[in-house]
Amino acid sequence: MVLLKTPPPHGGNLVDRVVRNPDRAKKMADGCVAFDIKPTMLDGVPIRNVYREIMSICYGFFSPVDGSMVRNEVERVLEERRLLSEWVFPYPLVFDISEEDYKSLGVGEGDRLLLRLKGQPFAVLDIDEVYKIDPVDIATRTFGTPERNPEVVKVPFDKKHPGYMIYRSMQPVVLAGKYTIVNEPKFRNPFDKFWFPPAKCREAFKEKGWRTAIAHQTRNVPHVGHEALMKNAAYTGDVEPCRGILVNAIIGAKRRGDYPDEAILEGHAAVNRFGYIKPERHMVTFTLWDMRYGNPIESLLHGIIRQNMGCTHHMFGRDHAAVGEYYDMYATQILWTKGIPSFGFEAPPNEVDYGLKIIPQNMAEFWYCPKCQEMVYSETCGHVDMKQKLSGSFIRGMVAEGIFPPNIIMRNEVYKAIVKWWKVYGYPFVNPKYLEEKDKNLEVDLPPMEVSKG
Amino acid sequence: MVHYIGLLLDDSRLEAIKGTGLEEKLTTLFGGQVKQLIMEVPEEVSKKILAEFPNARIDSRSFLEDLPVAFKRALFQEVVNKKSLGAEVIEAVFQKIDEIKDLAAKESEYIPPPDIDTSEI
Ligand SMILES: [Zn+2]
Repeated sequence: MVLLKTPPPHGGNLVDRVVRNPDRAKKMADGCVAFDIKPTMLDGVPIRNVYREIMSICYGFFSPVDGSMVRNEVERVLEERRLLSEWVFPYPLVFDISEEDYKSLGVGEGDRLLLRLKGQPFAVLDIDEVYKIDPVDIATRTFGTPERNPEVVKVPFDKKHPGYMIYRSMQPVVLAGKYTIVNEPKFRNPFDKFWFPPAKCREAFKEKGWRTAIAHQTRNVPHVGHEALMKNAAYTGDVEPCRGILVNAIIGAKRRGDYPDEAILEGHAAVNRFGYIKPERHMVTFTLWDMRYGNPIESLLHGIIRQNMGCTHHMFGRDHAAVGEYYDMYATQILWTKGIPSFGFEAPPNEVDYGLKIIPQNMAEFWYCPKCQEMVYSETCGHVDMKQKLSGSFIRGMVAEGIFPPNIIMRNEVYKAIVKWWKVYGYPFVNPKYLEEKDKNLEVDLPPMEVSKG
Repeated sequence: MVHYIGLLLDDSRLEAIKGTGLEEKLTTLFGGQVKQLIMEVPEEVSKKILAEFPNARIDSRSFLEDLPVAFKRALFQEVVNKKSLGAEVIEAVFQKIDEIKDLAAKESEYIPPPDIDTSEI
C-alpha cells in the first residue's frame, strides 16, 4: 500500500496576497480612491461581509482564486463549476457595489481601489473589469433548480434559504480583479488562537508529524456524538488511522439561535485541552466565510479549503451544510460517490481533471445504544429500535433550561465554554445583542495606517 | 401522528414529583444519566403549540423542541399540580398562554447564566 502524504494545494500553489512590508503596502495604497466596505443586508440585518471573502482569498484558503471574478469566470463557475484556469471551484465570488456607489467612486478598468474596513485601510482591488449582474439569476444558478439539477435539487430555492438570499441581495455592479491585503487585520480574542491560514496550518501539520489528517466541518458546539464521529472517522487513513483531526469552523454572519462563534471555537478546543481527543491528534481552526448552505456545492468549497490546509481526508455527513429540504439529504455523499453531472461532475470531484485531491469519508450517524451502553455507529449497532439520538435541539433545550448536561451527552468543559460566553452576552445562543456587536466589531481590529488621499 | 414533549428532571424537579406517583413514569436516557417525563401530545395540540411559538419545531424523534423555557416550566408546574401527564395538563397551561408568551418574548433576549465556575476555559 502506498503511504499517503499531504496533498498539494488546489491549483498547485497557495495564494498569498498579503503585503507584510509597511513601506510597500503604503506605496500600493497611496493615492487610491477609497471605499468603505459595506455588508450585504437583508431586511436590515447583515447577512454577508465581503471582507471575509477577501481574507479567505488573500490568505490562500480559496486557492487558486485570487480576487473578484471576471464575468466569464462567473459564467464558467455557474455552468461547470470550473475556473477559467480549469480548476474546480463551486461559487461565484465577486466584489459588488451599488450603481450610486459606482457613479460616485468614478473608478474603472485599470484603476486601483482602496478598500477600508472599520475606518482603516484594509486591502486594494486592482480593477480588471466592471460589469453588471442580475442577482436573482446568479442566486438561482448558484444553487441549482429541480429542472436543471434533478439529481439532487428537490424544490426551488426561495427566501427562506440564507445562502440564496446572500446572492439575491447582492448589488448590481461588480468590480473584478485581484485583491491584495495592505493592512493585516488583528484577530480579537479568542479568534487569534485559532487562526491558521493554509501555509501556517501546513507548517503545524509538519511539526506534529501529521502525514495524514481528516477534516471536520463545524458550525456547532460539539456534543459527544460529534466527538464520536471525529474519533471514528479518523480510523480511515492508509496503513494506520489518520494522524490528525482538523476541526475547521466556518465563521461568519450568524443567525439567531446559533451558538456564538466564540463558544463554538472554545468548545471544540475543550475537547482536546481536556483530553477527550488528545491535542497531539486534534486541532481547532476556522475559516472566514458567510455560509451559503449549498450542501453539495458547499462541500466542494469545504474540500478545497481543507485540502489547502493540508488535509488528506474530509468527513461528510448526511445533510452536509444543509438547511431546509432543498437538496436531497444525501446530495453531498452522492457528489463524492458518483458525481452530479448537471453540476459539472460526471465523476466525483476527486476523480475529475483539475479536481481535488482530498479523499471523502462519507459518514452516517452516531447515537447512544442502551444495550451496547455506548455511543454507536448507526450502520454497526443492531439495536436500532433502542437508539437514543443526541439531537442538537434536545441539547439546546437542556442548555436553555440551565440543566448541566451529563458528560455522556456533552463534555463538562465544553458546556463551560458555552457558559463562559453566555456570561458575556447574557444568552447561550445568538441574540440581537450578539448580532449587533458582531456586525460592529467583526472578528478583527485594524491597526491604524496612514495613506495619502486619492 | 402523536408528538412528544420531554420534561427533563434535575435534582430539584425530582424532589418536586416525590409522592405524586409520577416517579413510576420516569424514563431514563443515556445510561441513566438523563431522567425525564415524556408527555404525549396529539397532533392538533402540537399544531396549536407550534402556532404560539414560532421557534419551536418537531425534531427527528417526533419531540417538540426549542420550546420556550417559560412554557416548559409552566408545563412542569401543572404536571406536579395535576399529578398527571395527560391532556388536561396542557389545557391548564393554555389558560395562561398570554402570560407565558410575555415571559417567552423576554427570554429570547436574556437568560441568566448558570452560576458555575468557567475560569478553566
Ligand atoms: Zn447496540
